[in-house]
Amino acid sequence: MHEILNAINLYKSYGGVHALKDFNFSVNESEIHCLVGENGSGKSTFVKIVVGAISPDEGEIILNNHKYTSLTPIQAIHEGIQVIYQDLSLFAHLSVAENIAINSLIAKGKNLINKHEINQIAEAQLKRIGISLDLSMPLEELSTANRQLVAICRALSLDAKILFMDEPTTALTKVEVDRLLSIILELKQRGLSIVFISHKLNEVFEVADRITILRDGKKVGDYKPYELDYKKLTYYMTGREVEYPRYKHETSNNKPLLEIKSLTKKGNYENISLKLYPGDILGIIGLLGSGRTELALSLFGLNPPDKGEIIIDGKPVNISSPLDARKVGIGLLPEDRQTKGLFPKKSILENITVSVLNRISSNFGVVNRNLQIELCNDAIKSMHIVAPNFDTPIQSLSGGNQQKSLVARWAITSPKIFILDSPTVGVDVGSKAEIYDIIQNFASKNVGIILITDELPELLANCNKVFVMHNGQIVAELSEDDLKEENISIKIQDLMSANEKSLHQNTKD
Amino acid sequence: MLKRLLSRNETYLIVIILIYSIIVGIKNPAFLSYENFFDMLRASSGKLLLALGVLIVLISGGIDVSFTAIAIFGGYASTKLMLLTKIDNLAFAFIISASIGIILGSINALIIHYFRLPTLIATLGTSSVFFGLMTILVGTKSINAGQMPSSITNFSGARLFERIAPSGNTYGLSAFIIPVILAIFITWFILYRTMLGRGIFAMGNSEESAKRSGFNLFLIRFFIYTYVGILAGIMGVVYVAEVRWVNPISLVGSELSIIAAVVIGGAKLTGGEGTILGAVLGIIIIQLLNSTLVFLGLSSSWNDFFVGLILLISVSITSYQYRLKSRRNLTFSD
Repeated sequence: MHEILNAINLYKSYGGVHALKDFNFSVNESEIHCLVGENGSGKSTFVKIVVGAISPDEGEIILNNHKYTSLTPIQAIHEGIQVIYQDLSLFAHLSVAENIAINSLIAKGKNLINKHEINQIAEAQLKRIGISLDLSMPLEELSTANRQLVAICRALSLDAKILFMDEPTTALTKVEVDRLLSIILELKQRGLSIVFISHKLNEVFEVADRITILRDGKKVGDYKPYELDYKKLTYYMTGREVEYPRYKHETSNNKPLLEIKSLTKKGNYENISLKLYPGDILGIIGLLGSGRTELALSLFGLNPPDKGEIIIDGKPVNISSPLDARKVGIGLLPEDRQTKGLFPKKSILENITVSVLNRISSNFGVVNRNLQIELCNDAIKSMHIVAPNFDTPIQSLSGGNQQKSLVARWAITSPKIFILDSPTVGVDVGSKAEIYDIIQNFASKNVGIILITDELPELLANCNKVFVMHNGQIVAELSEDDLKEENISIKIQDLMSANEKSLHQNTKD
Repeated sequence: MLKRLLSRNETYLIVIILIYSIIVGIKNPAFLSYENFFDMLRASSGKLLLALGVLIVLISGGIDVSFTAIAIFGGYASTKLMLLTKIDNLAFAFIISASIGIILGSINALIIHYFRLPTLIATLGTSSVFFGLMTILVGTKSINAGQMPSSITNFSGARLFERIAPSGNTYGLSAFIIPVILAIFITWFILYRTMLGRGIFAMGNSEESAKRSGFNLFLIRFFIYTYVGILAGIMGVVYVAEVRWVNPISLVGSELSIIAAVVIGGAKLTGGEGTILGAVLGIIIIQLLNSTLVFLGLSSSWNDFFVGLILLISVSITSYQYRLKSRRNLTFSD
C-alpha cells in the first residue's frame, strides 16, 4: 500500500517536559488511522507539527516522498494536509458557500471574487459528500452537525489527501454521528486518508483500519482493530485497569427529596413527573434536543417552566433563579464546562471556593484566606485533582481535572440535590472512572443525584433508576430490576431514537 | 421575502426615517422641499465619507477614533499649504490631504499590528498625537472665508444642476456628492467583490480562523487603516469647503457621533457584521435630527438627547433579538 505520510522519530519538548518522544506514525492511501490517547498524551502536539504550527526538536516527516525536518503551514497545505479543528474555524457571518470556498480561493491567490465561482466550488464539494445545504444561508443559522460538514467540504476543496479530524463527534447527536461516520467511510472509499482523533472508543472501533495509541508522549503501539477490545484499549491508554464502579443503591428512605408534578415548558418538555429519593442516582437519558438539558435548567431556575409543581422536602417551591435553586439545596454541573462552568483564567482555588465565599468571609465581606486554602486543599485531595498547586490557572488543567474541580465546587456547598449534565464530555477514561466514584460516593451520603447523559455505559454504571426522554416527553421509566435485564442497552437505544430517523429526514432539506 | 426584509435592520431604519419625515413635514411643509433636501445632502456628505471608513473598521472587529483628527489635519494642512505655495488647485488639496491620511492611517496600522494593541487604545493615543502634531507643525490659527483659496470657495458653491425656488433663491445638487458616490462605490466593490473584502469580514468573525485560512492579517489591517485615513483626508477638504472657514480645533470630538450612526445602521462592535446601506441610513437619521429639530420648534440641545435615544433603542432591539435566539439555543447569559 502506498504511504503518504511517514513521521519518523519525532521529538518535541516544552521546557524540559517531553510532549512527544521518539514518535513514529504513518498513514497509507485510503486508510482511516485512529489516534487515541488521554488528554495531554501528545496527540495535539503531533497534529501541530504536521500542520506546520510548530517545529519538532528532532525527527523528520516524509510527505508524498518529500522529506521535511519541519514544515510551514503553506507546505503542509500543498502536501494535501487538512485539519478540522474542534472549534471548526469557520466564519459565522459569512454564507455557507463562502465558508466552503474561501480557503481554496486564497490558495489560488484570487483577488476578485465571483459569486458564481464560489457557488460552483461549494456545490461541487457538497455533492462529493452527498448532502445539500442552502448555499446563501449564513453559517450561524446552521446546526453544529451541518457546520461540521461545511468544514469538511472546505478541507476537501483544497485537494486534501489526508484529513485530520480532532474529536469531531463531541457535540453531535447519535444520528448525526452515524451520518458523519458514513461520510468518513465514503471518503475513504474514494482514496482519501483520514486521521481520526477521538475519545469515543466505540466510534474508533467502528471506522478504524489501524489504531495508534499514545501515552505520555510515547507510542504504545500500532494495532489492528481486531487485536483490541474496549478493555485492552483502555488499558493501553491509561496504563492501568479501569473498571467502572457499579453503583448499588443501599439507603432506604421513602420520603422523596424532590418531587416534580406535570412540569411543562412549551416547546421544551411536556408533562414531566418524577420523584427523587435520598441516595438515588436518577438517570435521564435522551438525545440532544430531547428536552433533558432544558429540564435540568428549569430545576436550576434558568428556564422557568410554564406549568407544574416542584416540591422539595414536601414543600412546594418556586425556583426562578439559580440563587433560589441554591437556597433550596440544588446544585448543577452544567453541560458545557468551558463556557458555563469555569472561570478559565482564575486559579483552582478561586474556581473551587467561589460557591462558598459567603460562608468563609467575615461580617465585613473579607474572605478568610486560610479557611479558603484549607477547603481547597481538602477538595484537591478528596477528588484526586492532579495539579501543581492551588494557584494554577484552571484552564491549564486537563478536562478531567477541570471537571473534578467543578464537582468539588458544588461538593463543598453540600447540596441536597445535585444535577450533573453530561459530566464526562471531553474527559478521558481514567478520570471518568474517578468522577463516577465521586458521584456514587455522594449518593451513598444520601444526596439525591440526577445524572443527565447520552452515554449508555455511563448510565448503566451509575443509575439505579432511569427515565428515557424523547421529543420533550418521558417515554419510559426503568426501575433497578429493569436495568439488570440482559438486552437493556438495545432497549434504551430504541426508546431514545424512536421516530428519530423519519424526523431526521424531514429536517435534512 | 417579507420575512427576510423584516429581519433586516435597514428595513426598520427606512420606516423610521419615512415616518419621522412625514411628521416633520406635517408640522412644517417647508421641510419637504427639494431645497431642503439638497441642503441636507450637502451637509451630510462629510459624515458619509467618515462613516464608510468607520464601517470597514467595525466590520474588521476594530474601532478607530482617530479619523476626525486625521480629517482636520488633512483639511487644515492642505489649505495652509495652498495659501503658502499659491497653488490654487482643488486636485492639489485632495492629493495632499489624502496623502496625509495615508501616512497617519498607516501609522495606526503599524502600531496596532506590531504591538498587538486593542484598536481603541491605539487610536485614542494616535488621535492625540496627530492632533498635537498638527498644532505644532501647522499652527492653530483659523483661516476665514476671505483668505480661503478660490478653488475651495468654488468647490463649496459648485452644483451639478440648479433650480430656482419660488422664493427666488437658487438651489441645486452640491458637487460634494461626487466624492461620496465614488467612495460608496469603491467601498462596496472592495467589501463585496474582492478577496480583501472577504478577508475584512473574516477577520471580524474570528481572527484566529482567518489566520488559519491563510489570510494575511497584516495586509488586511494595513489596508483598513490607510483606507480610513484616505477617506478622512478627503473628508477634510470637503469639510473645509463646506464651512468655508477652518478652525483647527473643530471636528475633533465628533467621532463618537459618526460611530453611533454606523452602529445604529446595524454594524456590530463585535465585528463581522455591517452594511453600507445601514451606515448611510444611520448618517441620514443623525443628519435628520441635526437639521429638523428646528422645524419642530425644539432647540438644538435636544439633538444629543435624540441621537443617544435612537442609539440605545436600536442596540437594545438587536440585543433582545440575540437573546431570544440564544434562548432557543439554551444559552442563558442573563
